[in-house]
Amino acid sequence: MKKLLAAASVLALCAGHAQANECTNPVQITWSTIAGFYTDAMNQFVASFEKENCAKVQVINTDNSQLYNKQVIEMVGQTGAYDVVTLETAEKAEFAANGFILPMTEFLAERPDLVEDVAPTLRSITVEYDGNIWGLPYYTYSAGMFIRQDLLDDPIEQAAFQERYGYPLARPETWEQHRDIAEFFTRKAGEKLKGQMLERDFYGVGLMAGPFPDIQDELSAQLWGMGSDWLTDEGVVPVDDVEKVLAHYVGLLKFAPPAALTVTYDGVMNQMRDGQIAMTHGFFLDQWPNAVKTEESVPGAVIAAIEAPGKRAYVGGFLLAVSSSSANPEMAMRFVAHIGGPEVQRQFADMGGATTLMSVLSDPVYETAERRPLNGEYKTLLQVFESMKGFSSNLFNTPFGAKIYNTMHIPLQSAAAGQITPRQAAEQLAADVAAICGGPCPIKR
Amino acid sequence: MANVLGVSHASDMVVRSKAGMSDRTFSILLVAPALAVILVFAILPLVYALDVSFRFADLTRGGIREYVGLDNYRRVFSDSNFWTAGWITLKFTVVAVTLQMTLGVGIAFLLHGMTVGKGLVRSLIILPLATSAAVTGLFWRYLYDTQFGVLNWILGSFGLPEPNWLGDYTIALWSVVIFDVWQWTPFVALIALAGLQALPREPFEAAELDGASSWRVLRTLTFPLLKPVLFLVLVLRTIDCVRLYDAVAVLTRGGPGTSTETMTFYLYRTGLKLFRMDYASTMAIFFLYVMLVAAIFALTPLLKQFTDRAKEA
Amino acid sequence: MHEKRSLPLEVLRYGLIVLVIGFFVFPIFWMVLTSLKPDDAIMVSPPRFLFTPTLENYRHAIEDKNFLFYIRNTLIISVISTVFVVILGSLAAYSFARYNVGDGHLLFFILSTKMMPAIAVILPFFLIFREVGKTGFGQFMHLGLDQHGALILSYVVFNLPFAIWLLVSFFQDIPRELEHSARLDGLSRLKVLRKVTLPLAAPGIAVTAVFTLIFCWNEFLFAYILTRKTASTVTVGVESFFTLQGILWGPVAAAATIAVAPMLVFVLAMQRYMVRGLTFGAVRG
Repeated sequence: MKKLLAAASVLALCAGHAQANECTNPVQITWSTIAGFYTDAMNQFVASFEKENCAKVQVINTDNSQLYNKQVIEMVGQTGAYDVVTLETAEKAEFAANGFILPMTEFLAERPDLVEDVAPTLRSITVEYDGNIWGLPYYTYSAGMFIRQDLLDDPIEQAAFQERYGYPLARPETWEQHRDIAEFFTRKAGEKLKGQMLERDFYGVGLMAGPFPDIQDELSAQLWGMGSDWLTDEGVVPVDDVEKVLAHYVGLLKFAPPAALTVTYDGVMNQMRDGQIAMTHGFFLDQWPNAVKTEESVPGAVIAAIEAPGKRAYVGGFLLAVSSSSANPEMAMRFVAHIGGPEVQRQFADMGGATTLMSVLSDPVYETAERRPLNGEYKTLLQVFESMKGFSSNLFNTPFGAKIYNTMHIPLQSAAAGQITPRQAAEQLAADVAAICGGPCPIKR
Repeated sequence: MANVLGVSHASDMVVRSKAGMSDRTFSILLVAPALAVILVFAILPLVYALDVSFRFADLTRGGIREYVGLDNYRRVFSDSNFWTAGWITLKFTVVAVTLQMTLGVGIAFLLHGMTVGKGLVRSLIILPLATSAAVTGLFWRYLYDTQFGVLNWILGSFGLPEPNWLGDYTIALWSVVIFDVWQWTPFVALIALAGLQALPREPFEAAELDGASSWRVLRTLTFPLLKPVLFLVLVLRTIDCVRLYDAVAVLTRGGPGTSTETMTFYLYRTGLKLFRMDYASTMAIFFLYVMLVAAIFALTPLLKQFTDRAKEA
Repeated sequence: MHEKRSLPLEVLRYGLIVLVIGFFVFPIFWMVLTSLKPDDAIMVSPPRFLFTPTLENYRHAIEDKNFLFYIRNTLIISVISTVFVVILGSLAAYSFARYNVGDGHLLFFILSTKMMPAIAVILPFFLIFREVGKTGFGQFMHLGLDQHGALILSYVVFNLPFAIWLLVSFFQDIPRELEHSARLDGLSRLKVLRKVTLPLAAPGIAVTAVFTLIFCWNEFLFAYILTRKTASTVTVGVESFFTLQGILWGPVAAAATIAVAPMLVFVLAMQRYMVRGLTFGAVRG
């Protein structure tokens, strides 16, 4: 039956153009996705899909922080309201294990080029689970970091840094160096930066320590960098390791704007553009078009997108998958293939989107100076994927990953805010995770 | 009140007129539609929640499953998060309601004595009521921002300390209180003002002739007369504060850490993030039980007053 | 209260009033100001008061985000809910006030339904409407998920307890003598209610209507869970302004201003009426 379905859809794929003209009764499908996300671009891609296939696509935008629970409710209720869902990397295993989404292995077997084009690092963590392929990623938020290159290049600062720390000021290679740089550039109003008097306080680092899941994305960079993970292979939280990275992180907060405890990535970008911070922690490279605007708003600023210290950072992408309660799964799968495919991804890239396809990322077109405001992070993304080849986190390999991911920031943020110690936070996290999984979490690669 | 019974018999007699329908039937017919709606939609979910509270129900692990007896109820007692959330809710409610009531009544007195521009001021202070916490809460987040917020900018220009309103776990709850006070004090003020304006004149004129001091008039006349109104407002505000969700969701999301995680927000985390419907339902029933017990004590005077007056006929 | 007014006291009074107005109005003022700011004047420190105003944010909210669609939904849902709440609530409240149905127990029960945390009943509601939506009746009444009827019904359920309690006190304020004489004149009970009691209770009903409308207009949780797109309300619509590029503060401000405007017009229009009506029965002394 499934084979038949796949074959039929391939036929339909080929017949797409022929049908276009005589489409009187379009197939309705609904795509649930993140709010305001390159909306114009998406409308355009939807329109091209509708033209090629006899379909009508409704796009439903939900705030990122509410997307997970809204989608789960619709899946559990088997309402069939969403044909295509959008999943964070940590959520894929849960949706797959619960039968919320349909495997696309057979469908995509006919189009191996689509899967093979996905950056290998992402392919294993966002697309594959339990021997199946679950859809295609259409966007990557994989992290590196942003830093004010103009500050690193300033001779006055270089000399002062060398004198104070005994090694040259450069892009940080380790988290200790990152800390030093953060400390070094933290200045009060009235002090000097690049030889110029500061009118207000300046901070070494912008942190996403607000009550959002992004705090663990930052911490992931450090934790993974030291070769550890949120869950051991036995499915428990390594308390000592978590405590260690958390303690380092809490130390960094001294060099971050006080707003750090309330913001997430958009707040850090606002601080960057307002000229308040020297660099980020591990940070989503897709924010490049935002970050680079600093060069317009802060005179003399130069933004560089680089790999995070330790060459590990939070990686992943938003996966498009087809709901198992969809009434038109084959049309939905075609839609996934359309959005995740090279044609649309190239148009997406032209608008500044962070694509997951190697063919697009490595295209020299995007290396040119004129593409820099929109695609300047591509080179760094490729480096990140190279450095993290073969990487996987157990967070992505347990069906409880979604719940862990969506609540683990609570103890972590408690520690960041000083409400509890890093030790207590690590222990709390371990207890919370054990409660979620009902014991050690099952890990399935 | 002494002749309650007699009077109500009298009204019974009047009522037995042409239609032949008894007072009782008529009165039940009036209540029936509203009651039907409430019954269906209050009882069904309650029964559902009760049932789920005795089961294992993780929506992402097979949905509603087997019965587990009192397991979930036992968990409530040993769950420190639950009690912490309860304590935070209590602190929030007591402080927010006290502030809203005192400020609201104070503002009502201020406005009541105004000679010019009363209408304008009344129209202006009703503004916060007309906005939704889900949307204006967002703007308060912006106002509270330590870097871009106008609040700290104003404090800073006066040389005052600039608190980290939503980022400091020791004050975040009070920042949420300020927001709630901002939004709901007008509700109290408007009702108290209306109460003041509707007070009968005679007793006050008499008191003035007697040469009673303003304070004495307030204490012995104004407040006793206003008390029933204020009591109803107090009850309504308390129920809303205890169930606070929107403001927390948009301002702090329970953070920093768990410092503003109120009861309903903890329920939200359990039910809609962890999808443990069993435990969420159990906590909700626990919560409802406590509320009901409190309400029985708190509402008895109000109810008595209502029923007494209903019988007066 | 009727004491002679001394000048310093009056100055103090008006000084305090200015403070009060400042506190309650400033956040709204700042929101409206933000809605008129160009993008590069919003997230800057120190905050900017002087800028070239622009309507771009309103254009974005209305054209790009189709915000008026959500306003329309909210209007339909809130107004219909309010009408139902007022009608059902008035009938019930009149019965409680005049006939003391249930001797207080029923009244207590009704208020107690307001005490259940919404989160705990959201899933049952979701399931109920999912099932009802599959039936012919449900489809006819638009009671399915993401349909207006489901939200209207929910709002009626949630606002009835509040409305009934408020209305009971209003009805108790109306002198019974008038009703009695009308009855003696041979009017039926229903006619008395319609011709005598309801007109007298009009201010109270207006107040209840205003508060109900405000509550419906501003509700978030049920609107968020029970709708997806076709019946989504303003509070849910604003979510589409929280983007992966960050919160679009300017357009959010514009949207919030647009959302507040109808409420404001309504409240202002009802104002005079309302404050007179806001007299609870119990106050008459």
